[in-house]
Amino acid sequence: MKQVDFRPTQVTRRQLLLGGGVLAGSLALGAGLTGCGGAAQAATEDIRFWHLLSGGDGIKMMAMIDKANADHTEYRVKPTVLAWGAPYYTKLAMASAGGRPPEVAVMHAARVPGYAPGGLLDAWDLDLLAEYGVRPEDFGPRIWEKSQFNGQVFSLALDSHPFVMLYNTEVADKANVLGRDGRIVEISSPSQFLEVSRELQRVTGKHGLSYGYLGDGAQMWRLFYTLYRQHGAEFVLGPGNPAQVERDVAIDCLEFIKSLLDNTIATKSGDGGTAIAEFAGQGSGLLFTGVWELPTMKTAGVPLGASTIPTLFGTPAAFADSHSFVLPHQAKLDESKRRGVYQFVASMLKGSLSWAEAGHIPAYQPVVKSKEYAALKPQADYVHAADIINYDPEAWFTGSGSDFQSYFAENVQNVFLGRDKATDGWDAFMKRINAVLAMPNPV
Amino acid sequence: MSTAPATAPARESSGIRRSDLPAPVVKSSRSRRDNIHGWAFSAPFLVFFLMFLVWPMISGAIMSLTGKSLTGANSGFIGLANYTEAFADSDMWRSLGNTLYFTLISTVPLVVIALALAALVNMGLPAQWLWRLSFFSPFLLASTVVSLFFAWMYNPELGLFNDFLAKLGIPPVAWLNDPSVAMWAIVIATVWWTVGFNFLLYLAALQNIPQQHYEAASLDGAGGWRQFFSISLPQLGPTTVMIVILQILASLKVFDQIYQMTEGGPGGATRSIVQYIFEAGFTGYRLGYSAAISYIFFGLILLIALAQVFITRKRSA
Amino acid sequence: MATTTLSKPALQPEGSAESLPNRRPKTPLSRALATVVVSVLAVAWLVPFAWATVTALKSETDAASTPISWIPASGFTFDAFAKVLQSGNIPTWTLNSLFTSAAITAITLVISASVAYAISRIDFRGKRMLMGVIVASIIIPPPVLIIPLFQQMQSLNLIDTYWALILPQVIHSPMVFVLKKFFDQIPRELEEAALMDGAGRLRIFTTIVLPLSRPILAAVAIFVFIGAWNNFLWPFIATNESSLLTLPVGLQTIKSAYGIQYAQNMASALLAALPLIVVFLFFQRQIIRGVATTGLAGT
Repeated sequence: MKQVDFRPTQVTRRQLLLGGGVLAGSLALGAGLTGCGGAAQAATEDIRFWHLLSGGDGIKMMAMIDKANADHTEYRVKPTVLAWGAPYYTKLAMASAGGRPPEVAVMHAARVPGYAPGGLLDAWDLDLLAEYGVRPEDFGPRIWEKSQFNGQVFSLALDSHPFVMLYNTEVADKANVLGRDGRIVEISSPSQFLEVSRELQRVTGKHGLSYGYLGDGAQMWRLFYTLYRQHGAEFVLGPGNPAQVERDVAIDCLEFIKSLLDNTIATKSGDGGTAIAEFAGQGSGLLFTGVWELPTMKTAGVPLGASTIPTLFGTPAAFADSHSFVLPHQAKLDESKRRGVYQFVASMLKGSLSWAEAGHIPAYQPVVKSKEYAALKPQADYVHAADIINYDPEAWFTGSGSDFQSYFAENVQNVFLGRDKATDGWDAFMKRINAVLAMPNPV
Repeated sequence: MSTAPATAPARESSGIRRSDLPAPVVKSSRSRRDNIHGWAFSAPFLVFFLMFLVWPMISGAIMSLTGKSLTGANSGFIGLANYTEAFADSDMWRSLGNTLYFTLISTVPLVVIALALAALVNMGLPAQWLWRLSFFSPFLLASTVVSLFFAWMYNPELGLFNDFLAKLGIPPVAWLNDPSVAMWAIVIATVWWTVGFNFLLYLAALQNIPQQHYEAASLDGAGGWRQFFSISLPQLGPTTVMIVILQILASLKVFDQIYQMTEGGPGGATRSIVQYIFEAGFTGYRLGYSAAISYIFFGLILLIALAQVFITRKRSA
Repeated sequence: MATTTLSKPALQPEGSAESLPNRRPKTPLSRALATVVVSVLAVAWLVPFAWATVTALKSETDAASTPISWIPASGFTFDAFAKVLQSGNIPTWTLNSLFTSAAITAITLVISASVAYAISRIDFRGKRMLMGVIVASIIIPPPVLIIPLFQQMQSLNLIDTYWALILPQVIHSPMVFVLKKFFDQIPRELEEAALMDGAGRLRIFTTIVLPLSRPILAAVAIFVFIGAWNNFLWPFIATNESSLLTLPVGLQTIKSAYGIQYAQNMASALLAALPLIVVFLFFQRQIIRGVATTGLAGT
C-alpha cells in the first residue's frame, strides 16, 4: 500500500492562519449578526412585505411603498420581490408553513382558496380596517364577494386587472371601424369580429389582431374563459366530483379562437413578446392582453384605445384576477406591528390612483369615483369591466400562475396551433382536471 | 492494511455476539475504556447523523405512506396509494425520462472532454497552472452564477450564441425556449461549469502513471498516440470507472441549473425528477406523495449503485 | 458495498498533483500543437467570464442594444456595480454565505475528524457496524431528504433560521472515510509513546494526530467549504426571508426583482463569483490538491 503523504508542509503557516482567521472571523461575525439566537427576527418596526410585481408594475409598486413609508414613520415596509407565478406562490406557502412568513403579502384573489383553508392565511379584522377608513362598501360587489372565503375576509383587493382589448385608434379610423366618439364600434357577434379584424388587417398589411399565447397557459386561459363566460356557461369545480362544464360551449370557444389564428387575422405563432412588439410597431390594430400592458403601449407611442373584450356571445363577461393583500399566518404578532400592517394596506388602497396609471382598475371605490380617475385615458373607458369580471373557477389549484393554467396550456396549445382537434384537446384537459379533482384536497 | 495490534481483529469479531450478553466480568479495563472513548469520540457525529440523516430517511418513508400536506392537513395512513399513483403518473415518468436523458447526454461529454483536456495538458505544456485555472475555475461558481451567465448568452436577440451563429449565417436558435434544444443548452452550460473537476481528477491520475511504462514503450518505438491508447488509457481504467459512476450519480441529482434557467420548461421538457419532487411537495403541497417519489428516485440510485458494485467486482475478478 | 468504491480514491494522493511537466519527452511539434489547441479551448472557457464582465461594465441601454458589441457605444461604466451594491442585498448575502459555510466547515471538521479518529484508532464495540453504516450512507442523495428535512425543520420551528441552513449540512460521510484512511497511515508509535506517558485520548488526538493531519484537514475543509458556499437546493428550501438568504439563493431572486436589467444581473453574478475566485487564486495548490485527494470520494 502506498503511503499517504502527511507532511505538514503543504499548507504554510501563513495560509493556515489566514484560513483560520477567516473562519473564526466569519463565525464571530455571524454570531454577532444573529445575536446568537439564529432566528431571523426583523426589527420590530420593520414590516416585511412580499409581492410578485416586476417590470413597470414593480416600479409603480416600489414608488407606492416609498410613499407609504414616507407618510408613516412608525414602521418601515421592506419589500421582497419574487418571480411571478409558481416560484412566488411556492415560496409564500413554504414561508407560511415554516412559521416565519412576511407580515403582509400580495396574492391573486383567485389563489386564496389554495391557501386560506390550510391555515396559511389569517383573516382580516374588519373592525380594525374600519379604524383606518376601509369598509366593505368601499369595494365593488364582485370583488368584495371574492375577498371572502368561508365567511371570513382573507384578501383585500388592491385592484382588478381584467383581460381586455387594446386598439390602435389611427388604424381603426383608417379601417372605418372607429365611432364618432373616438371609440371602436360596438362588436356583438363572432362574424362581426372577424370582419372588423380583416378590415384592420387590410390597413396594417400585417395582421388585424395581436394575441400572444405560445407557451403561456395564462394567456390562453384568459381569452378562453372570457368567451366561455360570455355564453353564460358555468364552470364548477367541486372536489371529489367531475368538473361541471358545458362541453359544447367550450369547444365552440376553442374553435372560434382557432379561427382567429389563421395567420391573417392573427399569427399562429405569437408569444407574448411577439404580440406586444407587433402591436407596438403598428403591425396590427387590436391586442388581446391584460390591462397591465397599457403603460408599455403608451410609452411606445401607440394612439391607444381600450375596451373590454367585445361581447360576442350575448353575456358581457371579462376574465380578471385581483392583486390582493393577504396576511400570511403568524404564530404571534405584536399589536403595534399588526396595526402597522393595517395602516400600510389602508394607505396603499387609498393611494391606488397611481396604481391605476399602470392600467389596473383600483378596487377601492372612492378612488375610482374620483375626478382624477375619470381623467385617466383610456383607463376610464374600461372601468365598467369591474362589474362583469369573472375570476377563475374556485378550487385549491386554480388562479393566476397555477397548475390549472399549465394543464390548460398542455392540452389546448395544440388546438390553437391546429395540430389537435378542439374536442380532443378539451377532453384531455377535462380528464386532467377530473384526475386532480378526484384526489384529496391537500390544503 | 491496518497496522492495528494483532489482537484487535479477534476481539472485534466476537464483539457483536458478546454485546448481547450482560456485561462480562472478564472484560479488561482497557477495552471498557476503549468502548467509552470510542463512542465518546463518535458521539458528536452520531448525533448529527441520527438527527439529520437517519431520522429523515425513516420519517420520509413513513410520510410516503400518508397523505400529509404542507399545510399540516393529513388524510392519514393510506398504505401504498402514493406509490401506486406515482407509478401511474405520466409527469413523474416524464421527469424521470428527462433526468435520464440529461444524465446520458451530460455524462459522455463530461468524461470525454475531461479526458481529452487532461491528456493534452499532460503532454508537457508550459504554464500548467494557467490551464488548470481556466478549466477548473468555473467549478467554483455557484449554480446561480452559471445560470445567469448562460441565460444571458442564450438570450435570443442579445446573446453571444445567436450572434456567433449569425456570423456563420445560421438562423437564430431559441436556446432555452425550444423543447428540442433546451436540454442541450443546459448540458452545454453544465459541461462548462463542471468539466474542470473531472479534468483535475484525470490529470492527477495521468501524472501518477509510472514513467517507466512510457520509457519502455518509447524504446519499442511506440509513438504518442500509441502510447496514449496502449498505456495511458488502460492505466486510467479504474479512474474512468469511478469518474463515470460518480458523474452518473451527480447528473441524476440535477436540479439547480435547470430550475434556474428554464424552471423545467418549456412545457416540462427539461423538468428533472428532483424538481418534480420539489414541485409535488411544495408547489402542490403533497409532502406524502413527494416523499414517495423521493423514495422511487432513491430506489433508482440504489439500482445504479448495485450495478456499479457488480461491474467493479467483475473487473477485479 | 461502497467500500470498493472508496478504497481507490484514498490511494489517490500519493505523488504530487503538482508533479513536474516535461516528465516525458515529446516531439516539439506535437507539443506545440497541443499548446495551440489547449490555448484556444482555454480562451473559449474564459468567454462567459469575459462577456459577463463586459456586460456588467456597460450602461443598461448599451447592454440591451443590438447588434451586440464587445465595446459599448457610450463607454465603460461602473454604474451597474454601484447600483447593485447600493440597493441590493449582496453584501448581506455574502456575509450569510460566509458565516454559514464557515460554521458548516468547522462543525464538519470537528465531528468528522473525531469519529474518524475513533474508528481508526480505538477498538470499541460496534465500530465496524458504525463504519459500515457511515459508508453505506454515502449512497443517500441529499435531494431525497429535502421533504422530510423540511418537515423536521418545520416542526422544530427552525425554518428561516441559520440553524436550518447549517445543521443538516454537516454530515459528510465520504469525508469521514477520507480522514479515517489518512489517520490509519499515521504511525502508531507516536501515539503509543504518549499513551505510555499517560496522555489521554483527547490530548493525543488534538496534540499529535490533528497537527500531523493538517494537509488532509485543509483538503476536507476546502471541499466542504466550497460545497456549502455553492449549495443551492437545501438553502433554497430552508430559507425564504431575504435577509437570511445565502449568495446563490439570493442571486436567484434578483432576476425577478430587476427583470431585464442585464448589466446589473451580470454585475451581481460577478460580485457573487468574486469571493471564491479570489480564494482560489490564493490557495490554488491546496484546492487542486484537495480535489485530487477528496474528489472521487466527495461527490
